[in-house]
Amino acid sequence: MSNYSSYVIKNKSAMRRFLISFILTIFTIATLFFYKSYSLSNRYTQINILMPSPFVDSTSRLIDTYNRNNSEKIHVNVIRGPMETESVSDLAISSLLLGNSPYDIILIDVTWLAKYAEAGWLKNLDESFSETDKSELADGARLGNEYNGHLYRWPLVADIGLLYWRNDLLKKAPSNTEELVELSTKLQKSGKVKYGYVFQGKQYEGLSCVFLEILKGHGGYWLKGKTDVGLNEPESIDAANWLKSLVDSGVSPRSTTNYTESEALQAFKSGDAAFMRNWPYAWSELQKESSNVQGKVSVSTMVAAPGYRSSATLGSWGFSVLEKSTHPRESENVIRYLTSDDSLTELFIRNSYTPTTKKVLNDTILLANYPILSTLNEALKITDQRPQTALYAQISDVLQRNLSSILTGHDDVMTAMKKAKIDTEAILYSAGEL
Amino acid sequence: MDNTQQNKRLDRSMKSILRQNLLFTILVIWAIGPLAWQLYTSFSTADALINPFNDVMNRWTLSNYKLILSSETPFWRYLWNSFVVGIASTLFCILLSIPAAYGISKLKARTSSIIKTVLFGVALFPYVLLFLALLEIARGLNIGNNLLALSIPYTALSMPLSLLLLSAAFKDLPFDLEDAAKLEGLNFFQRLRWVLLPLIGPSTASTAILVFLFSWNEFPISLTWISDPALLTLPVAISRIAGSSVYSVPYGAYAAATVLASIPLLIIVLIFQSQIISGLTKGAVKG
Amino acid sequence: MIFLLLLPASLLIMTFFSYPIIRYGWLSMHASSVITGLEPVYNNGANWYRLISDQRFWIDLFQTTRFACLSVILELILAIFIALILDQRWRGRGLVRALTLLPWALPTTVMALGWRWIFNSPYGPIEQLIQILGYDQINILSDPNFAWIGTVLADVWKTTPFVTLILLAGIQTIPEDLYEAFRLEGGKPLSALMKITIPLLQPYILVCLLFRLAQAFGVFDLIQVLTGGGPSSSTESLAMYAYINAMRFLDFGYSATIMMASFIILIAAYIFSWITLSKIKDLTEA
Repeated sequence: MSNYSSYVIKNKSAMRRFLISFILTIFTIATLFFYKSYSLSNRYTQINILMPSPFVDSTSRLIDTYNRNNSEKIHVNVIRGPMETESVSDLAISSLLLGNSPYDIILIDVTWLAKYAEAGWLKNLDESFSETDKSELADGARLGNEYNGHLYRWPLVADIGLLYWRNDLLKKAPSNTEELVELSTKLQKSGKVKYGYVFQGKQYEGLSCVFLEILKGHGGYWLKGKTDVGLNEPESIDAANWLKSLVDSGVSPRSTTNYTESEALQAFKSGDAAFMRNWPYAWSELQKESSNVQGKVSVSTMVAAPGYRSSATLGSWGFSVLEKSTHPRESENVIRYLTSDDSLTELFIRNSYTPTTKKVLNDTILLANYPILSTLNEALKITDQRPQTALYAQISDVLQRNLSSILTGHDDVMTAMKKAKIDTEAILYSAGEL
Repeated sequence: MDNTQQNKRLDRSMKSILRQNLLFTILVIWAIGPLAWQLYTSFSTADALINPFNDVMNRWTLSNYKLILSSETPFWRYLWNSFVVGIASTLFCILLSIPAAYGISKLKARTSSIIKTVLFGVALFPYVLLFLALLEIARGLNIGNNLLALSIPYTALSMPLSLLLLSAAFKDLPFDLEDAAKLEGLNFFQRLRWVLLPLIGPSTASTAILVFLFSWNEFPISLTWISDPALLTLPVAISRIAGSSVYSVPYGAYAAATVLASIPLLIIVLIFQSQIISGLTKGAVKG
Repeated sequence: MIFLLLLPASLLIMTFFSYPIIRYGWLSMHASSVITGLEPVYNNGANWYRLISDQRFWIDLFQTTRFACLSVILELILAIFIALILDQRWRGRGLVRALTLLPWALPTTVMALGWRWIFNSPYGPIEQLIQILGYDQINILSDPNFAWIGTVLADVWKTTPFVTLILLAGIQTIPEDLYEAFRLEGGKPLSALMKITIPLLQPYILVCLLFRLAQAFGVFDLIQVLTGGGPSSSTESLAMYAYINAMRFLDFGYSATIMMASFIILIAAYIFSWITLSKIKDLTEA
């Protein structure tokens, strides 16, 4: 007889169980399909802002105040992004690429602006902020908000490269690159410090910032217009040679090639170095009890080669409204509040964020209480921007790699800088920038 | 029998048992040591973390778990999302591959071996390289941020392995079984449902478990297809936690997250151990 | 009839495997970046020229190969021993087998996060132990020369169970009599391993090798969470570079080129090893 009927009988109950669980699962999934994850109450407009984690903490008091004062109309909801700059951008981009981004405002870094604007993700703010608004900004803070002549970002905090020096060892800041090396060698020989000058020499974005200041301080340029790469010009070679000579001569420690901001700060804070290149945040760190150089530090602008003007790399954060946001007007209102003079003052006092408006920068009471403010003011007048191209991240990577191989001695200056130029041009060309 | 010889033999077997136990212990430590460390970390206070081997007041705490369960998107939400995607992809994959695997097993030996070689090659393919084209698909069809849509690529990606396993299972069935059923007058679908399906049950179960594990653990595609925080699957949510370190890194909370994420899998592995093992080994042997 | 049964599955596989590769081939001949508004514009092979002179690509290729080779070799060696241990009959073997399987079953990102803590300097257990023993910190994940070894360790831990299982299945097919005969002829246990076990395991080892090499070559999750590709991109893999190009640099054309190149390299590696293996076989048989 057929041997399958026994199977059928044996497996009938198993089959039924299978069918029941199958139907149950289908049912669950169907429910989920219609499940809405958000239940929004429409009493007020919700504005979603994506910020890197540290900014969420520093602005939380301001946001709370705003929400309290506007509880009837607007509610600001801050989304805590990751801490690392790049991860925040990754998060924002992945949602923007998919097409339906949940954010209205993103706090963006100065180096992302070109990329985001070019991709068409940012709302043109030309009509939201007038020429008078712009004229209230300090010179440096006016940079890095526009792309192709249109305003896409409003600055919250300016950030500039500064030269920190020990006022217990020196009477005044070095006036140029040669003097910095001279003073360093003298102090090192006398045994007062282990190292002369510490800076960010690791292969990462900080190295590009360091190099830009030195490059400008030798009269060179990185990228002019859209395609003119200046990395192989004599000025660039000089700048690279100077950085390399720091490491070779021992003015900067060998380990500089692995230094980020925090390692440089560590070395300077412990009293091991006479000079340091760092951002304004270092100032408050150096004034803490734990610092060995508390009260022995002065700040000035970066040195340049004799006969050239010094330069400060601009790094700043600002708010952009997303093109797809359905609440541009409310978003603008929130941005105006967060970047008002009062807010900027509070952020400066609490978190030593560099203010962006002339009014706060020249506030006499603040100037009297915070001596660093005048240096910031001065540095904001000589800021330089990293190339404003949508391809910035790639070309900066090329520069970092080649500078790193120069500093670590893998490549000589001429070869590496020539390679940097060729590789940069290859990127510009293959991405369609002709 | 000589007494000393017997003693010697006893001695030797004692030694070998000891040695086995030692190996056994090393093996277990190697496998679950890192997990155990996470478990320990998840219950530790921040103070205890900084001094793992010193005496600390208030060594134990539950606050790490409270933190991740009470955040804006509570952690169980991610477990649930992963579960939904996992179940949906498993279902789709099994439903689609059973008929296809049956078809392959009925093909001429030469054709089916060619197909199997191709499938094996596809199964080897490091699928992470597909993410860009898949992202374009998601963007073009506007199906991002949808857990059910996400299960479609998962179904496709686990299809090769599933086909290999199931077609091998069909091939192993007694040859005359279907003929007998045919003689009884059952049509194809009746045969499939009442005769073949019950018989390949065990293989289906191991295949299903493997597909489920794959979908539960998948990272790059979920990373590009889902951006809504409430819909993130577990692996992506974990990686996002990893990236969001504030000044001091909250390793206690990380550890709590890894422990919670491991529990469902621990249960799955303990329950379905034999299915997983048979699925994997068959996949290797038959492929 | 059979054709109809095969249709849905093959359509799905075509869409999700063949289409991307064709698409990459096409995209790699175009500029499709933020500059072109993410629309493809023919660029005359500029992507490929750039790839050839791109330091980062070749370094990543080297790093990926280095990672894949070392981790697969370590996994195979470890797995053979673990499989031999698990092959012995003792109480609790089932439970041990389930426990050793656990690392494989966990999501990669979950344990990558765990390993980040274990490698943490100075608070992770490894650094603490080193300090107690009186040595200097090693800072494994922040040293560009050694970070990749940390990624290898984490990968070995995670995938050894998989290799073990397959080898175990192989070991169980070897008849006990063979060992008995070998012992009677006076062979030592270690040489039994070399002369019986490993030769007979060859097909299983080959399957593992093929499978694991391909997977390790596409390593992404582990590195993304454990090191993020750093420090100084010393642990970056090809898949990560492609991902970064698409998602961070918004350069889809170049990202597709990298993936196409990885794909070609992988296939070339397989064909090459296949030919070498069959040559060796011919030689040994002749």
